[in-house]
Amino acid sequence: MKSSINIILKYRLFLIIAAAAALIFTFTDVSQSKILKDQLGRVVTISGKPERIVALAPSITEIIFALGKGSLIKGATQYSNFPERAKKIPRIGSYVHLDIEKIVALRPDLCVAVKDGNPQFVIKKLEALKIPVYAVDPRNIESVIETLKELGVLLDASKKSKAVIQNMQERIDKIKKIVAKADHIPKIFFQIGISPIVSVGTNTFVHELICLAGGTNLARGNISYPRYSKEQVLAFSPEIFIITSMARGGLFEKVKLEWSRWSDLPAVKNDRILLVDSNIFDRATPRLIDALEVLAKLIHPELFTTEIKRSQK
Amino acid sequence: MNKKTPVVLKRMIFISLSFLLLLAGAMLIGLSMGSTKGGFKAIWEFVVSGSADDSVLNAIIWQIRFPRVLVAALVGATLSVGGLIFQAILKNPLAEPYILGISGGSAIGAIIGILIGLSRFPGINIIAFSGSIVTLLLILVMSSGKSTLIKDSLLLSGVMVNAFCSAVIMFLISLTQDFRLHNIMFWLMGDLSSSDLYQAKILMLMLFPCFILIFLYSNTMNLLLLGNELAITMGVNIKAVTMTLLVVTTFMVSAIVSQCGLIGFVGLVTPHLLRLLLGSDHRILVPACILGGSTYMVICDLLARILPAHGEMPVGVITAMIGAPIFIILLKKTKT
Repeated sequence: MKSSINIILKYRLFLIIAAAAALIFTFTDVSQSKILKDQLGRVVTISGKPERIVALAPSITEIIFALGKGSLIKGATQYSNFPERAKKIPRIGSYVHLDIEKIVALRPDLCVAVKDGNPQFVIKKLEALKIPVYAVDPRNIESVIETLKELGVLLDASKKSKAVIQNMQERIDKIKKIVAKADHIPKIFFQIGISPIVSVGTNTFVHELICLAGGTNLARGNISYPRYSKEQVLAFSPEIFIITSMARGGLFEKVKLEWSRWSDLPAVKNDRILLVDSNIFDRATPRLIDALEVLAKLIHPELFTTEIKRSQK
Repeated sequence: MNKKTPVVLKRMIFISLSFLLLLAGAMLIGLSMGSTKGGFKAIWEFVVSGSADDSVLNAIIWQIRFPRVLVAALVGATLSVGGLIFQAILKNPLAEPYILGISGGSAIGAIIGILIGLSRFPGINIIAFSGSIVTLLLILVMSSGKSTLIKDSLLLSGVMVNAFCSAVIMFLISLTQDFRLHNIMFWLMGDLSSSDLYQAKILMLMLFPCFILIFLYSNTMNLLLLGNELAITMGVNIKAVTMTLLVVTTFMVSAIVSQCGLIGFVGLVTPHLLRLLLGSDHRILVPACILGGSTYMVICDLLARILPAHGEMPVGVITAMIGAPIFIILLKKTKT
């Protein structure tokens, strides 16, 4: 009898403490937390100052580093290799195949997800485990800027985000000004896949970059990553081939040789089969502007010669 | 007969209980291990005192691992019992839903369901079931005819149907160009990583009645093995029994495929092993297959989770790596 009373007493005490703790906790939590709508239209409640962030895609890691908050990232996905410091963050699987267990074990107070790519069920599960998930959708320059703004607010880095955005916009304007002088807009075949031949459609950021850099994307259309046969590409008669280095080693040389066999192609006549570093072309981050500058110089070298000479002096 | 039955009953209960213990052990290990350490201690604490201190580890164990272990057990049970039934009814030790293309048929249905954007339940389930029923009919029609050849022709037509199914799957995949592709590919190899409690509940609701039905037919399966004529004299309606069991099995397999993808060879490994251990009485084999198959699958899933240093493997890869060599050994044995 006595022991059971004791147990009840013990429990009561525990209950009171727990209730009080919960009350205090919710109180402080509500006063500091932010209630936001993310890019999926979900309403997310996030504690005032997230300190343990898990970034569910390499682009997110990069954007958070750009905001100067990289030290808050406690978990990142495979291939989060930029900046150099990001390589040391514990891995939580790849962005399509996340290791939920590892994420939970990191005890994050915020997960930043991407709208396309992260499986829906992972997001739901994390939410069921009371981990706030904020989804963003960086897929072109505009949405990268939007993401920078939102994460700036979220991570208390609005100043930095404004500076980054301003820098991006200034550089875009500069390129636009230079490219506007071009008297010819060449037809470009941007090849991201070797076998099968894959290019980029209208709703990709590479398309946007090509247009901004003063080129026409031959593969524009509804399909994001259209496949082509060799015949179709030849029928386009591209003036410039741009091939990403996704396939490393000697593969680029091989592909170049392959296209060079068609000596009637304008691109071959003018020797304009070009290689770009895929690293800056595969993620929607502030580095898109680097990619834009690279592209513009590749497509319109004549417009940049004066500038290069100037900088060499 | 009357005097013998209690002995069988005793043996069945004894064997079932020992397999149940085995399954419980495998599930506890499955709950304890994963990419986060410290699971054994937490599980031990839970077993001893009914609660654990570490709330994060608790969440990992009960909300992430538990549904998964549960689904793995259900998958293993279904596929093993499916294999057992196919082997008994088709009188072919090599028959199995995966090898005969039943799984492939439901996979085609499921992929079509995914591509047109149906929900996992019930939309994809229904299409997957229709797909597998079509392949079942195909196999039965193709292999019917000369009865002396039936053993080989069944397997051959199954292999052909399976090859055709793979071709259709490849065709559907080549049509897909967006991010769903990766999901489909992983799902095809048999993926349990997206399991949740809701899924486990749905599967249980669908599968448990089937298990009971199959158990009720276990004695009939014994009679079928004695040969058709004898079975008929014992009062078995062969056509009705065969059709019921085949359709029920196909239903179960398609439910599993639509939820977890293609997981092969489980229906081959467990029934054979158990038959070696326990003899060929289906009254014992059915419960043993359900429990033993679950145990096998829980362990395979555990391997899929802990073997790779980063991320995880699709569990279908593990079952195929274990199962395919066994299939070849069996094939060699039955030929000579």
